Amino acid sequence: MNLTSEQMDALQELGNIGAAHAATTLSTMLNTSIEMNVPEISVIDLSRIHEYISDEIAAMVLFRIDGELSPGGYLLLHVPVESAIRLVNVMLGEHDMNRAMNEMDRSALLEIGNIMVSAFLDATAGLLNTVMIPSPPDLVIDMPHAALQVIITSQLEENGNNVVLFRTELKSSEYALASNLLLLPNPPVLKDMIHKLERLLSNTSQR
Amino acid sequence: MVSDPQIRDVTYIGIGELCVSTTPLSSIGLGSCIGLVLHDNNRRRGGLAHIMLPNSNGRMDRPGKYADTAICALMEELSFNRRKNGVIIAKIVGGASMFTQFSESISIGEKNIEKIRTLLKEYSIPISGEDVGGKVGRTMTYYPTNGGKIIIKRGDGSIGEI
Repeated sequence: MNLTSEQMDALQELGNIGAAHAATTLSTMLNTSIEMNVPEISVIDLSRIHEYISDEIAAMVLFRIDGELSPGGYLLLHVPVESAIRLVNVMLGEHDMNRAMNEMDRSALLEIGNIMVSAFLDATAGLLNTVMIPSPPDLVIDMPHAALQVIITSQLEENGNNVVLFRTELKSSEYALASNLLLLPNPPVLKDMIHKLERLLSNTSQR
Repeated sequence: MVSDPQIRDVTYIGIGELCVSTTPLSSIGLGSCIGLVLHDNNRRRGGLAHIMLPNSNGRMDRPGKYADTAICALMEELSFNRRKNGVIIAKIVGGASMFTQFSESISIGEKNIEKIRTLLKEYSIPISGEDVGGKVGRTMTYYPTNGGKIIIKRGDGSIGEI
């Protein structure tokens, strides 16, 4: 699927609003400021995905987007393992960094993911005047390329060779935390989103 | 999230690609996809395909993407003549199910493994090594001049060799 630069801009703005809401909830949970970069929207050929997503083991909290646009695609919180442990330590007031991820880390990450992703979806759905609800989450600690490959394969259209990937980075310099929010809309939903955004933008410019 | 600094002399084979070579070939982060190696030990070379789906249903644009077209294309690129050149062996890596929650993605890896086994049987190519299924992602590097050795890094941190 190819996108015009206007469509890219519109999607970027949509993502920006969603990610800003997610960043605010993270900031509240950790009681520190969170830096967010400008979201990137990439249209990637299948054969080049490994240049965007690595095999470095990370914690990923994955949600399917349900609701009016169901199945809408997937939203994923990606946290490198070291950041994940630090994140849970900050939340729970722990200090031990030299440990493997345990049950407590897992449930804390699921909860953090839930809160951030719900905020993201609420904000974007509000803008598009639709309903988007996150499915129950799944947590995987593995290679991001491998996890995303499964999702991409399941949502690929016949003859499709491109993937639209939305990514924004959320960081805390106080606690040296890094994380990424990734959005992989299903192709029909992406078209619907673009259509709604274009209508929204033309209404605004007429006023 | 960009990959480690790339190792020298390794060619990275992305999703749906294939390549025949005498130098190392690698596919990173295999999830439900399969890395299929056909190795020609006499000529110390072989090919790697990063297969995404079991059936091409007649599509020819990306032979490496589908199991049926990938095996066919690899054999052709190896320009293998059974009577003259001896034996080709196969090794397969990947085909995992990464998620427990989302049912639609669970069976893709299994279907890929099944299809490739069937095809290799039809071509009478023996499988000399495999690391497939389960729940972990895998990064593989294949060394054609080193007896067709494959080093596998798994998503649980373990390392293997086939």
